[in-house]
Amino acid sequence: MRSLSRPLCLALLASAVAAAGCGGAGDTPPAANGIGLQTPNSPLVTLRVTFETGSVDDPAGKNGLNALTALMIGRGGTASLTYQELTTTLYPWAASIGAQHDKEVTTIIGEVHRDHLEPFYEIFRELIVAPRLDADDFERNRDFLTNAIVSTLRGNDDEELGKQTLNALLYAGHPYEATEMGTERGLAAIMVDDVRAFHAARYTADTMLVGVAGGYPDGFLERVEGDLTAALPPGDGSINAGALPAPRAVDGLELLLVEKDAIATAISIGFPIAVTRADDDFYPLMVANSYFGEHRTFNGRLMNQMRGLRGLNYGDYSYIENFIQDGGSTFPVPNTPRSQQFFSIWIRPVPHHNAAFALRQAVRELALLVENGLSQTDFEATREYLVNYSKLYVQTTSRRLGYAMDSRFYDTEFFIDEIRSRLETLTVDEVNAAIRRHLQADNLAIAIVTRDAEAFRDDLLSGEPSPVTYNTAVGDEILAEDEAIKPYPLSINPGRVRVVPVEEMFVEVS
Amino acid sequence: MARLPGWRHGWLALVVWSLVFGVSAAQSAEKIFPFPVSVFELDNGLKVVGVDYDSPGIIAYYTVVRTGSRNEVEPGFSGYAHFFEHMMFRGTEKYPTDAYNEAIKRLGADSNAFTTSDWTTYHTVASADALETIIDLESDRFLNLSYSEDDYRTEAGAILGEYNLNFSNPISLLREKAHDLAFTIHPYKHTTIGLLDDIRAMPEHYDYSVEFYDRYYRPNNCIIVVVGDFDQAELERLVTRYYGAWEPGDFEPAIPVEPPQAREQTAEITWPNPTLPLLTIGYHAPRFSDERIDMPALDVLSQLLFSQNAPLFQQLYLQEQAVDVIQGGAVDSRDPPLFEVIARITKPDQIAHVRDAILAEIERFKTEPVDDAVLADTKSAMRYSFARGLDSPGPIAETLGHYLQLTGDPDTVNRVYELYDAVTAEDIMMVASTYFADSNRTVVLLTEEER
Repeated sequence: MRSLSRPLCLALLASAVAAAGCGGAGDTPPAANGIGLQTPNSPLVTLRVTFETGSVDDPAGKNGLNALTALMIGRGGTASLTYQELTTTLYPWAASIGAQHDKEVTTIIGEVHRDHLEPFYEIFRELIVAPRLDADDFERNRDFLTNAIVSTLRGNDDEELGKQTLNALLYAGHPYEATEMGTERGLAAIMVDDVRAFHAARYTADTMLVGVAGGYPDGFLERVEGDLTAALPPGDGSINAGALPAPRAVDGLELLLVEKDAIATAISIGFPIAVTRADDDFYPLMVANSYFGEHRTFNGRLMNQMRGLRGLNYGDYSYIENFIQDGGSTFPVPNTPRSQQFFSIWIRPVPHHNAAFALRQAVRELALLVENGLSQTDFEATREYLVNYSKLYVQTTSRRLGYAMDSRFYDTEFFIDEIRSRLETLTVDEVNAAIRRHLQADNLAIAIVTRDAEAFRDDLLSGEPSPVTYNTAVGDEILAEDEAIKPYPLSINPGRVRVVPVEEMFVEVS
Repeated sequence: MARLPGWRHGWLALVVWSLVFGVSAAQSAEKIFPFPVSVFELDNGLKVVGVDYDSPGIIAYYTVVRTGSRNEVEPGFSGYAHFFEHMMFRGTEKYPTDAYNEAIKRLGADSNAFTTSDWTTYHTVASADALETIIDLESDRFLNLSYSEDDYRTEAGAILGEYNLNFSNPISLLREKAHDLAFTIHPYKHTTIGLLDDIRAMPEHYDYSVEFYDRYYRPNNCIIVVVGDFDQAELERLVTRYYGAWEPGDFEPAIPVEPPQAREQTAEITWPNPTLPLLTIGYHAPRFSDERIDMPALDVLSQLLFSQNAPLFQQLYLQEQAVDVIQGGAVDSRDPPLFEVIARITKPDQIAHVRDAILAEIERFKTEPVDDAVLADTKSAMRYSFARGLDSPGPIAETLGHYLQLTGDPDTVNRVYELYDAVTAEDIMMVASTYFADSNRTVVLLTEEER
């Protein structure tokens, strides 16, 4: 975690060892740089190895170097095997090796049936300590990342485009500004030697954490730890010594509108918060957020007000940390911890004619949350829900392992246990006080992906009420509330309003 | 939510670059499904399948409805299987929407649903001690669903929202066009989400939605799958108590039989936003069977053509870097589906080359027997891939539910894997020649609109 100095961080890791066992039956004895979750009856084995390297470590002008390095491990060869030879070897085992890269942590993930653990591990180990990093892997993976930005992000996924636009607005001038994939020009500027140097500098033993879960043999965790530690540069503990700068303050309602031929309008809203899982206030905010906008459930007020009662779109959620959904599940992907977080609202695409109304409604709902907080009844129901639901975060040993490793990053007890113990003693007053401390509706970064963005901007700046159209007659109570939503004042900062063609997004950082 | 069959977990996902060999089948001398299975059936035809799986304190409860967009036979009513999935969350007299949501919330359950062309599934994963509450809630909405016309019309807005988010991805448009061209009368002509005009007209068809419920939400058209930490006798007692009064139905949809395709169909479409060219090549394929070798042989062939071990993949993706995505296969389906190849081409001037390379490789498998070792590796990959998918109660229930919706028989999964084991090089040449004929082909190319 970057806000801690390196020696202190190492000390905390050592002291957190006992917690890392997560309370699961069969946990192996703690190790200095490793976490083991041994389940002898499982035929599967997962390896997760994290390094504290992320897109924040990309050199100036070379945004994407961390991603490209990770990709050349996850989708590249080893010193002794070309990528083609590697895939041919893994194929009959249906084994997988992947690289997950985020702002501050990169994770190499391997999964294999225990029948093939030994030969698989040899490849996995070599990928980390001696990746091939050759010209073929480089060109292919750089093109893939570039296409992921210029084609997929700009043209194939408006929801992700909205989220990345919010990130760019929120963190302008901050190391988080670029996408986790980098920027178009940053990727173009990278040479294969840059990747080799980055691997040598950033994949060091001092920032490594090894995790193994499943039906692995006794002593395996210690062996992996020992092999990797011996083969990687030790590092001197200084590489992440400096804390990240604070994000800039959002000044009023700031708008970044992305112009494209969108079928509907995608909106993301957010602002930085000085809270992570390491902070006491994370847990009361977790309750507040679940009540307000739990991801992909009908528990949240946003979802019920915007989709349930009004049918405005497919879903409306909120978050108190960066959220990446794990595959087809509704749970967050592990191993993407960050030392700085943000609050956000995700409004899934709304038909253009109702988009301004939806934006006003979301901002108003946030203001109401800040003003009113939770009732005792809402608090108790949400707390009970979270205590039970959070157990489902860790249905597989692989995910359980990932969360245990994240708890090391944040220097907390195992996250799921922490939720239960913190929520047990929590009160509604503490929740509402945390809301008042950290949430607000006056200074918001707002990303809007839409067609005819200039007209949308002008409409919002005009101060005219935003109408809404429904498929059906709605109740008097809803209509009465709509009259409050339509003219709900948006204190837009006219100096912080921009319209950008989609082709100009993610070209480079500001 | 509506799921795209096959590539349903975000095949262009941007965050995790993983080298996963996605396959769907396997072989072994022993049964491929490794957990004890118990089956019982109520007098009304409701089948209940219990799977004993070591997941202390957790259960998965899946209700499989053997109805999907395949059942949408009337013109103008595409998308209703999926729409109805949404309406099932609109409450009953006993548990109105708010009460249902409140009860699910109290349980801390992970509860949702999805719809495909052949089936609809309502799934809940929760604490094991919630079993009776789940059965109470689920049985109530399957027996006593009650929603107002206003609720129905409001939900139509959410459906349009889901269509909008799906169609910000050009693959949705590509697949919609390919299916429209390849099928003439079978409901596979439209994708599960439905056609935009039909979705826009949904608010006016409340009565049809009620009819849909009456036709298909019947015990003899549903199967319950429970996986994890539960007592089988208790399960049988509770299901009998809560579902016993459910009246069986007798509606049989008249699903038209698609005639053989007479000649190749092609189309070129454009996308108004930035995109790499996308090419799809489709062939009508055999329906699912756990008795005939055709479908399993075609599944093995899809691996030989498009897995990361395949020469074509290695040529186009690794050596030439002409594509950054290439996948192909047919979804197990109750009626003959489309075997769909999708490639994302990295450079517009490589479109013809990629198309020709795919077709040439398909031709090669018509006459050139696959090497024994390659075939063995492929079967091994399929077997281990299947095992890797069975890592928690939800995926196990979904896997078994998939095969149950096809035949109603929990042993189907084992039989089909025995068939995979039996596939020979000759079988592969046979299915390549039988199904990959020029006249059976549909090709759609999507490119970026010129501006």
